[in-house]
Amino acid sequence: MSIWERLMSIPREVVMGLVFIAILIPALNPLGLPLMTGKMSEDWYNTVDNLPAGSIVLFDIGYGSGGYPSLGPGNIAAFHQMFEKDLRIVIMATALEGGMMYPLIMASVKPESNYGAVYGEDYVFLGYIAGTQTAMAGVLGDLHALASTDYQGTPLSSLPLAAEVSRADDFDIVAYMTTAGGTAEGWVYQAYSQYDRPVLGGCLSMMTTSIKPYYDSGQMLGLMDGIKGAADLEFLTGHAGDAIVSSDILSFTQTLVLIFIVLGNVAFWMQRGGAR
Amino acid sequence: MDYRRDIPLAITFIVGVIAVLDYYTTLESVTATFTVIKNWGVVLQAFALGLGAVNLFRVHGKRVSERTREDWMFSGWLLLMLVLFVVVGLITGQYDASTSYQWIYNALYLPLGATMYSSLAFYMAYGAYKVLRARNFEAALLFITAVLVIIGNTPIFPATYPGFFHMREWIFGPIVSGAYRGIRIGVGIGAVILGIRTLVGLETGYLGRR
Amino acid sequence: MVSMDPQVWIAAFLTLAATSYAFRDNKVFKFAETTFIGIAAGHQIVMGIKNIRDYGWSHLMQGEIIYIVVFLLGIMLYARYSKEYYWLYRYPIAFLVGNGVGISIRAGIHSDFTLQIAETASPLIASDALGSINNIITFIGVITALSHFIFTYEGMHEGTLGWGPKIGRWMILLALGASFGNTVMTRFGMYQGRVIFLLREWLQIIA
Repeated sequence: MSIWERLMSIPREVVMGLVFIAILIPALNPLGLPLMTGKMSEDWYNTVDNLPAGSIVLFDIGYGSGGYPSLGPGNIAAFHQMFEKDLRIVIMATALEGGMMYPLIMASVKPESNYGAVYGEDYVFLGYIAGTQTAMAGVLGDLHALASTDYQGTPLSSLPLAAEVSRADDFDIVAYMTTAGGTAEGWVYQAYSQYDRPVLGGCLSMMTTSIKPYYDSGQMLGLMDGIKGAADLEFLTGHAGDAIVSSDILSFTQTLVLIFIVLGNVAFWMQRGGAR
Repeated sequence: MDYRRDIPLAITFIVGVIAVLDYYTTLESVTATFTVIKNWGVVLQAFALGLGAVNLFRVHGKRVSERTREDWMFSGWLLLMLVLFVVVGLITGQYDASTSYQWIYNALYLPLGATMYSSLAFYMAYGAYKVLRARNFEAALLFITAVLVIIGNTPIFPATYPGFFHMREWIFGPIVSGAYRGIRIGVGIGAVILGIRTLVGLETGYLGRR
Repeated sequence: MVSMDPQVWIAAFLTLAATSYAFRDNKVFKFAETTFIGIAAGHQIVMGIKNIRDYGWSHLMQGEIIYIVVFLLGIMLYARYSKEYYWLYRYPIAFLVGNGVGISIRAGIHSDFTLQIAETASPLIASDALGSINNIITFIGVITALSHFIFTYEGMHEGTLGWGPKIGRWMILLALGASFGNTVMTRFGMYQGRVIFLLREWLQIIA
């Protein structure tokens, strides 16, 4: 077997083992590299920053355990910014696990102790609502015709913030973070197209290419691009978290992937040249 | 009239047309009717959530009762975990808001959900090594942007030379925007046409077997 | 100091069990996989029942008797598993499909078609040379990518006219490469969260 053939057939276990080591090293010894923020995340940050105090945000937690490592840090940073700006947030979940993400997010944000926020006045959680676009259309069309309680069974009429909002016009902006393409498109359809509400979106990096046309055409004012966007939001809001920590891990792992890609291609072409 | 086929098709048409009319008109009667339809839709979607579990009981329950397969105990474990989650979820009356349900979710579901999707990272690395080859011109096009975007996404490279980040941003500008906007228009046309065909009864796959 | 929290230990074990598949299929992974499928289905049932209570039963208790129809339709969904009464399943599914299709296509024309075309039809010449070049590339990308998917006209992919779809194919490949690059980051971005959990919450060797 020639050297090039050997380089093209490194065992799977070796490749994966090296990947695992590449994840461990920077996690144990962070590099603390500088971050360059992207325009889409900056637009998200600036849009929220320009909202007057007291504005009402409809926020959809459209992800679960699979998206939590990437979108969770961005969600936390986004909520930090919103509470700092004295925005009021009506939170809902179109993802089945969204209701389980909410306590995890709030345990990090700590709105009561960090910002003096009061549940029911400054933020409300409606819980998971089945149906994706049906749920979106229901909440934006007539919230109180659909739901009468929050996720803990408290009547919405007894929660001042929930009592104040009933239709799309009552929300100043709609924001979501999701791992589902249908949810990402759905908010553009239901919030922007139907009710002309400004929309901010967050999605996994691999979904960015397909959701970007909505951002380019102005239907979305900002787009949080996966773990990179989450790191940007953490940096811009000044609340460093797991996304910025992951930047160092990405440096090692993606460099390793590049090395393997180059190695595989060099070996391929050298072997092809040798065969001729 | 075949009540097993024509009435469902009529239901699809009527419900769909009301949804579309709600978008294009401001008639109070249409809005009110569609509000009822939306609210019913949420409840029906909730009922539909149990369909998967019923199927799991049918398939895995059979394996446990027959015990012919080597891995029948895994089927038993699957059903046990299903029942555990349902019991814990329902017993307090607080569903996902109860602390005990959150405990078992954080212990079991969260780590499994997060790891199952993400362990593809290892396959991604191995797959890129084995398959991402610039074999010909077209493969080279995909290869070039893949490598440039990976470099732009890897913080150590832009930290060394910011041009890598600007290159990545530029690729996501005209290149990705152009191609994916074309794809988005095509997908949009296709989705609308398929939707209209479904509403008028030309697409009946959703009705299932005859 | 390793964590003494049983929740953390269970989570750590399941994380490692699920990761083990990356190296080879094994019984530990099978255990993790079946656990996941079971609890996912269990969670679906819990959330389904909660939604039925909050958005269905609550309306019935408020005197909206018509919601009995919704409950009947919901039960009819389960006729799917009957050979004799399968046709009952078609009524609620027809409602769901009509609702879903109507809700999505009404705005799809506006968001996916009209606005995308309007954006493409905006002026190509920008205030600076790079902006103009970018606009021209975007415009060419949109038109050629669209032409790549035209199969109803025979001559579309041949001769001089065939250059449009060919360039469209190249643009799509360039964009797909970018998408692949982002997918690599997505997967590693997901897994890093698990590694941080193992090192921080379980082994407690990082802050």
